[in-house]
Amino acid sequence: MTVAEPAVQAPGSLLAAGEPEGRRRHLAERLFHAATASAAFVPLAALGAMVAVLLVEALPAIRFNGWGFFTSGTWEIGSLYSNPVSTGGVTHLVGAHYGALSLILGTLECSAIALVVGFPIAFGAAVTIAERLPRRLAAGFGLCLEVLAGIPSVVFGLWGILVLGPVLSRDVYPTLAKLPNVPVLNVFRGPTGNGEGLLTAGLVLAVMIVPIIAATTRDLLRQVPTAPKEGAEALGMTRHETFRAVQARWIRAGVIGSAVLGLGRALGETIAVALVSGSQIHNAGNIYDTMTTIAATIVNQLDAALTDPTHFAVRSLAEAALVLLLLTLIVNVAARLLVRRSARGTALPVGAGL
Amino acid sequence: MPPTSASLTAASSSPQRRLAKLGPLCGLGISAALALSACGSNSGTTTSSPGASSSVPSTVAPKTSSLQSELASLEKPPSGKVALTEDGSSLLYPLYQSWVSAFAKVDQGFSSSSGADGSGTGITDAESGTTIFGGSDAYLPPGTASQYPTLVNIPVAISAQMVNYNIPGFATKHINLSGTVLAAMYQGTITNWDDPAIKALNPGVTLPNLKVVPVHRSDSSGDSFLFTSYLADSDPSSFAAKQGPSTSPTFPSVTGALGAEKNSGMVATCHQTKGCVAYIGISYQADTAKAGLGEAAVQDKAGSFELPDAATITSEAAGFTNVPSTGTLSLIYGPAKGGYPIVNFEYIVLKTNQSNATVAQGIKAFLAWAMDPTKGNSAMYLGPVGFQPLSSGALGISLALLKKIS
Amino acid sequence: MAAVEPSPAAPGPRAADKGDWTTERTSLRRRWRDQASWGAAGLALLLLVGPLAWVLAGVLEQAARVWRWSMLTHSTAQGGLSNAIVGTLVLMLGVLVIAGLVGVGCGIYISETAPPRLGSVLRGASEVLSGVPSIVIGYVAYVSLVIGLHWGYSLVAAVLALSILVVPYVTKATELAISQVPTAYREGAEALGMRRAQVLRKVVLRSAIPGISTGLIVALAISVGETAPLLYTISFSNGYPNAALTHSSIGYLTYVAYSFWDQPAVADQNLAHAAALVLVVLVLGLILLGRLIVRLTQKYSAERGR
Repeated sequence: MTVAEPAVQAPGSLLAAGEPEGRRRHLAERLFHAATASAAFVPLAALGAMVAVLLVEALPAIRFNGWGFFTSGTWEIGSLYSNPVSTGGVTHLVGAHYGALSLILGTLECSAIALVVGFPIAFGAAVTIAERLPRRLAAGFGLCLEVLAGIPSVVFGLWGILVLGPVLSRDVYPTLAKLPNVPVLNVFRGPTGNGEGLLTAGLVLAVMIVPIIAATTRDLLRQVPTAPKEGAEALGMTRHETFRAVQARWIRAGVIGSAVLGLGRALGETIAVALVSGSQIHNAGNIYDTMTTIAATIVNQLDAALTDPTHFAVRSLAEAALVLLLLTLIVNVAARLLVRRSARGTALPVGAGL
Repeated sequence: MPPTSASLTAASSSPQRRLAKLGPLCGLGISAALALSACGSNSGTTTSSPGASSSVPSTVAPKTSSLQSELASLEKPPSGKVALTEDGSSLLYPLYQSWVSAFAKVDQGFSSSSGADGSGTGITDAESGTTIFGGSDAYLPPGTASQYPTLVNIPVAISAQMVNYNIPGFATKHINLSGTVLAAMYQGTITNWDDPAIKALNPGVTLPNLKVVPVHRSDSSGDSFLFTSYLADSDPSSFAAKQGPSTSPTFPSVTGALGAEKNSGMVATCHQTKGCVAYIGISYQADTAKAGLGEAAVQDKAGSFELPDAATITSEAAGFTNVPSTGTLSLIYGPAKGGYPIVNFEYIVLKTNQSNATVAQGIKAFLAWAMDPTKGNSAMYLGPVGFQPLSSGALGISLALLKKIS
Repeated sequence: MAAVEPSPAAPGPRAADKGDWTTERTSLRRRWRDQASWGAAGLALLLLVGPLAWVLAGVLEQAARVWRWSMLTHSTAQGGLSNAIVGTLVLMLGVLVIAGLVGVGCGIYISETAPPRLGSVLRGASEVLSGVPSIVIGYVAYVSLVIGLHWGYSLVAAVLALSILVVPYVTKATELAISQVPTAYREGAEALGMRRAQVLRKVVLRSAIPGISTGLIVALAISVGETAPLLYTISFSNGYPNAALTHSSIGYLTYVAYSFWDQPAVADQNLAHAAALVLVVLVLGLILLGRLIVRLTQKYSAERGR
């Protein structure tokens, strides 16, 4: 790779490694190499450390709570003002019982609503931006996506509780609650509450996950080769039919991946949900009822958990955090695999008679 | 994690700016003071509480003059700046803010931040050293007290808790409620305001057909502790009795029940929700009146229904004559006739070992000033928040605890 | 026969869409479906922009009612935001340094030095890390650093938690930027006899700087807006940051927005709205700064005749 006698003097390249300057440079290179290598292992180490710390912290709680953690919906710190007791080597308060079922259900329900509402919007918007708009407008809307993605989650939370929630509970929910009592629509029936609850939180989350789904979809669409598109249109297909035949097939796996990415973001969202959900640790009775998610519970309950002198409440929160971590890890890994599959173009059914 | 008293701190504002910043608290202060003085609240001296027994067996009640000399000696502020931090009870918050701004005029080097994130947070912040003071309506749990032997809770005033409701037409009418009925509401067994159990307590009153919406505190709250203490004491079969009183009780899951943070959140949520029932600290009485929330007459141990005012609060506190040397005492559901049943000591929780002598002296000066019946514990400060001054027995205990700070 | 329209590289509305030759061939039903589906997609775009405008308008409206320019010069103890702004900037600086160094180093290693298998494992770990909820990172930092290492609520713990959160974005941007450096540059440099490290330093990284800066700006924008990891790694203070790294407390804007909005004192509530406005302005500023950097560097490289 090195040239013995280059015609043009490149800085420093003429010196062989054996000379003093070369040795110093060699050392500097080795240091640089070591520094970048150690930096590269930081994410991996951080992930491992996170799982390890949570596991160590939560282990007594895991053993004590057992499978009841996933089947029971009551989250009780116990009798704070009576003396702690010990069961099976674990010190805890009398009556302490930690069941995360309502947290898990709340997380899944809220994220499901966010995805159902947010995905069509994100997909449609991305398709419009990538396929229909002239370059200038597309760039402008791209900026909108960036701004939407950048708005802090506490701002979304305040908007949800001060602006969106009251408007919805005053004007929209009472109308929705009057929908006929048929199988799908009857989910909207019931007492409409005061705007803090599952549906409001789901809608706020939907607005927050739209940017990530839309941006990923738009980038996927940009990678679709033009040849199949041109061919389809040359055959006389309308643009819609072209889209369904070419782009949609090409990006299918990736779009599913982007939806799953959005889901991952929704699962982990903390502050906006904590502000808008009403933060009640119970299963939501209907779609307007107050609820909580794992992330919101951790942020809301940590103060109360710290009052537990046996530290057991903190450990149970660590167990909940571990569950959330594993859940989001699985979802994100699946999402990335799907997006990558699409980017490599293996999703296109070549030879399927296109 | 204490936010600040943006409206009232010593720091450096001119008197005019300070007055202007009193604005947000004025609505609480001035109108309430006028209203209360019209009702004849007079809490000037500590020794004239009616029915007070003068014998306090386990703790010696010092005479007033020796108390005054103790106070005088403790109240000397240090030279140099003292910047304290406080977080905790939202019930204590308005009073603490007015104390801080007043004391800063006495000692120019003094300042303190304050927050209202709940009594439980106040206690844990004081424990961990995040703040110097933890304001709390609840005394330390036994587990915490044994784990942190240097942590003390010092009573600084006597306060009370209201039970409020939002029923159209009842903003100024008082409804009689008992512990059993309240527990039933929070358990979901009473779901409507025209339930026979409520009617039985209120003969001759027509209550509307309105769903009961119980509102509770979702943060770690001393007010929750007081409310569940009352429910536990007055109804041994209630959920509160089974769990025991707590700053983070697990309220039974009732459809439509709401949670709110801080007393201000309780007022706001109850204001927006017809049919709500909520427990709110008395320092928010002006806010509840403005929000159109009615106040309940709560049943005491003797069976009569009382409203919280100077006389009922003072007689309830006077019914508890043994104040232990740790200051840990519940004043709920006491034996006194004509005493309002939900009364408590307001505590400042702090460590006895402080970082340096200046801070310790500054703490002693400030708290002694605050507990002095002629200064911080006088009607000028306690009146606007509906609190009452410490009895001489309690004051003696508090001063003894205060002297341990170094 | 129908003429084949030349298709531009980027799809855009073309004359043929206006129904000239297709109407003879295309049935009404197909045309209707075409219009309807693109109409729905356009509606989706409006549904995206609508809430965005609503949120921004809401923030502006709430803050405009209570804004005073003195908020920029007074601390939260005096009815202002200055210490919170300074605290946020200090956090940003810390994240820039730590996440910048780690992220860029990580990106360089993965794209330049790592053997392919190891590189994809490390890249995967970075991508997985970007999906971890911020509260989990904050909680782990609380358990391990604040309590475990006895740092207490500290600036270091807060900066570390934020940095771990955003390192994946910096890494990805670095990788992307390095991969976009034309191979011609590298080949030319190697042909001149430059060693690999020099190629990296003088050629590749220089060209990758715009992309890396964009990644850093994304990282800063994310860290400005985070609340959860900070709530339990650093406690709020009304004062300005001091030099203490452990057992320290600072003010920061997201705490003001999150905690003050329901405090009893109305003045505190106003601060929350003002803080929300400052946050949005900061984020917008960062986004525009990123765009500016991209445009300037494009202009620069265009001027140099590349």
